[in-house]
Amino acid sequence: MKIEWTNANIGRRRFLKGATALGAASALPMGWANRAFAAEDGVLRVRAYGDAQNMDPAHSVGVVEEEVHASIYNKLIQYKPGEEWGWQMDAATMIEQVDPTHIKFALRDDIGFTNGFGAMTAEDVKFSMERIVDDATDSPNKPDLGPFSHVDVTGEREGTIVLNSPFAPIWSIALPYITGNIVSKAAVEAAGGRIGADPVAESGPYLRDSWSPKEKTVLKRNPDWKGDAPAWDTVEIYPIDDENTAEIAFEAGELDVTRVSLGSVERYRAGVPNGGSLVEKPSLYYVWMGMNVEHPKLQNQKLRQAIQHAVDVPSILEAAYFGAAEPATGIIAPGLAGHRPSSLVPPQANFEKAAQLLAESGETNVTLTLDTLNKTTFTTTAQIIQATLAQIGITVEVNVLESGAFWASGDNENLQLVLNRFSMTPDPYYATSWFTPEQIGKWNWERFNSAEFNEIHETAAGETDVAKRAEMYQRAQDLMEESGAYRFITHEATPVVHSARVTPALRPDGLSLFRYFGKAT
Amino acid sequence: MLNFATRRFGLSLLILFVAVTVMFLMIRAVPGDPVQIMLGPRATPELQAQLTAALGLDQPIWKQLLIFYGNLLQGDLGTDVFSGRAVTDIVFQQLPYTLELIFASILWSATLGIGLGAYAAAHPNTLIDRIAAAISVSFVAAPAFVVALLALLVFAVHLQWFPAIGAGDGFLDRLDHLVLPAFAIGLSWVGYIARLVRASMLEVMGESHVRTARAFGIAERRVVMVYALRIAILPVVTVIGVGMGFLLSSAVFAEIVFARPGLGKLVIDSITTRNYPIVMGSVLISTALFVVSTALADLINALLDPRARTAH
Repeated sequence: MKIEWTNANIGRRRFLKGATALGAASALPMGWANRAFAAEDGVLRVRAYGDAQNMDPAHSVGVVEEEVHASIYNKLIQYKPGEEWGWQMDAATMIEQVDPTHIKFALRDDIGFTNGFGAMTAEDVKFSMERIVDDATDSPNKPDLGPFSHVDVTGEREGTIVLNSPFAPIWSIALPYITGNIVSKAAVEAAGGRIGADPVAESGPYLRDSWSPKEKTVLKRNPDWKGDAPAWDTVEIYPIDDENTAEIAFEAGELDVTRVSLGSVERYRAGVPNGGSLVEKPSLYYVWMGMNVEHPKLQNQKLRQAIQHAVDVPSILEAAYFGAAEPATGIIAPGLAGHRPSSLVPPQANFEKAAQLLAESGETNVTLTLDTLNKTTFTTTAQIIQATLAQIGITVEVNVLESGAFWASGDNENLQLVLNRFSMTPDPYYATSWFTPEQIGKWNWERFNSAEFNEIHETAAGETDVAKRAEMYQRAQDLMEESGAYRFITHEATPVVHSARVTPALRPDGLSLFRYFGKAT
Repeated sequence: MLNFATRRFGLSLLILFVAVTVMFLMIRAVPGDPVQIMLGPRATPELQAQLTAALGLDQPIWKQLLIFYGNLLQGDLGTDVFSGRAVTDIVFQQLPYTLELIFASILWSATLGIGLGAYAAAHPNTLIDRIAAAISVSFVAAPAFVVALLALLVFAVHLQWFPAIGAGDGFLDRLDHLVLPAFAIGLSWVGYIARLVRASMLEVMGESHVRTARAFGIAERRVVMVYALRIAILPVVTVIGVGMGFLLSSAVFAEIVFARPGLGKLVIDSITTRNYPIVMGSVLISTALFVVSTALADLINALLDPRARTAH
């Protein structure tokens, strides 16, 4: 065979040899075609957005570790999966608020700790809670227990939690969350008072079988667990930061459950691969644009109010959140006490009103900086804010910062506009705690200074009348908005996809409760 | 040769010292409070102060640097604040994943690149040569992250031939998990090495010793493989040595895209959280890897080519 336009001489033998090799090479992977990536029947594969590195609830840094802790430890009460916030019994057989500062409990008699540390007793509950508020423990989670004083042990498995003053959030963010995990007193003391990367004794429906840092954590069924048996023998948790990678892994059949990006929601609404399903949950996060009221350029309240009215939230939600998130009315998400049905400034921009307020402010040639995180969602949001403020003649320069630099902005007095996003636990107390005068220079970046707001924050935590408490938090958000320092944008959303073989157990904000995950029938 | 090796070792130590010192200063110059990030927003000021002191961050920079080198000389890279584990353990636990990825990438890209380049040089201006040139240039031009994503979508999602995430358990499973990431970061090296080998081979093929070998009637295959390729391959050794550094940086995104453990991912996560001990430990090891690989390449070159010894 001679190919005319080249010098190449390709003989028949050579051609056949080459073709055979090529054929063999291309056929080789066919052996793998459709090979099952689906896990074994009893293995649930889920994605976490980080690596659970510390097995000490006192030193847990958030959701990623709590997802593991909630599976290998027990609490008196646990969050209930579903659409509405609530709790259910876990290690407690009885728990009751006998007066505003005393909570009585009784423990189940069939929970034991691994490694020979015996049955769970009220002493373990006392130890677990008191060590978190003990300064010697250095626990960053101490504020979650608020005015917690101590636990009185009244029997082997009975006790009373004593508070220094009423504290409503104990039911929503203390007992069913990080600070509610019960560890073995004997085991922790034997370990020198601190738990590190490995648990010293576990008691939950799962045990941590292995941890391969940055790759996966494996939980296996606890053979000695006497409560309701978890549906899955093994839970493999993969720390995947990048949502696109997680989506690819899900579509390749290597994950059963993952949160997906808001940009992919539309695609998954049209159909989830392999017969899976999309669950769309609201989120507790809150995103807003803040204005530093102490900055010389932003001390004029009319100017700040003009800016509030010139930011068009629906445009932001369409462009940066792909229409998958709703406008926020404040810092407290729907479903929580204190959520406002509507904000004082409507989500839609009102450029006429904004221009009128700007004229009333007497400010001209306004040029401002807007600091934001280097994530696409935020940079897109910042660009829309830049464009809409230009419509009333305000020039905005966007400063994009990486996370470490951005989160150090608390003491930056030169901050002007800032696009911000805070995480949240299911109690309004947690939300208002960042905007008190005490937080100026730390997390109150707007330097919003309201004595009334502070008063509400301090008294509402102890208010046990739910309706009255909600009203107080609504007023607190009114104060924030009236100051002109805040333009509330969204609470985002938590879209989660899961495979056809899983019945996920998700909190109302879409976070996973692995111990309650079921198998689809 | 011993003299050359000694000088090269000294230079490696100097490079290591400069790189680590610069990194030490740079990470501290970046805004962001490591203590605040490590402890989270709810930590009390007292607790923040305690950790600042425990990490030595309340000391002047020069003193922190001295302490770092003092500890380093004793083999102590510090402790990770989040997990309480020794930094040395953490870094050396991640290192094999990165090494296996780099070596797999080099191995397949060098094997194919050298073969393709040598074959093209042995058949200059033929159809094969032109196809090889087109393939090589396309491979060099293909951005690794695009290759990675396409490979994932085609081979993991659509065809399901290879796994998409993780590093696998056991020898065969780990090999299986290496295929796509090694393919993604090695592909451009195939083209690069092929072009390099072809050019070098063509130069060598025109030299007198090759002409003499041919005049002696030695078989063409032997002339190419023994007399030409052995010499033409020298620049590839140097390039592979330097390429370790590029592959280390490529490994960062491969580890993120393929959700693999490894040094790259460890460094990125640690920089984001301003976890100074881990950043320094990881940088020290990756710089050492780079320095050792380039030094090895120089030594191999010097062994193979006596002119290189005198040139140094």
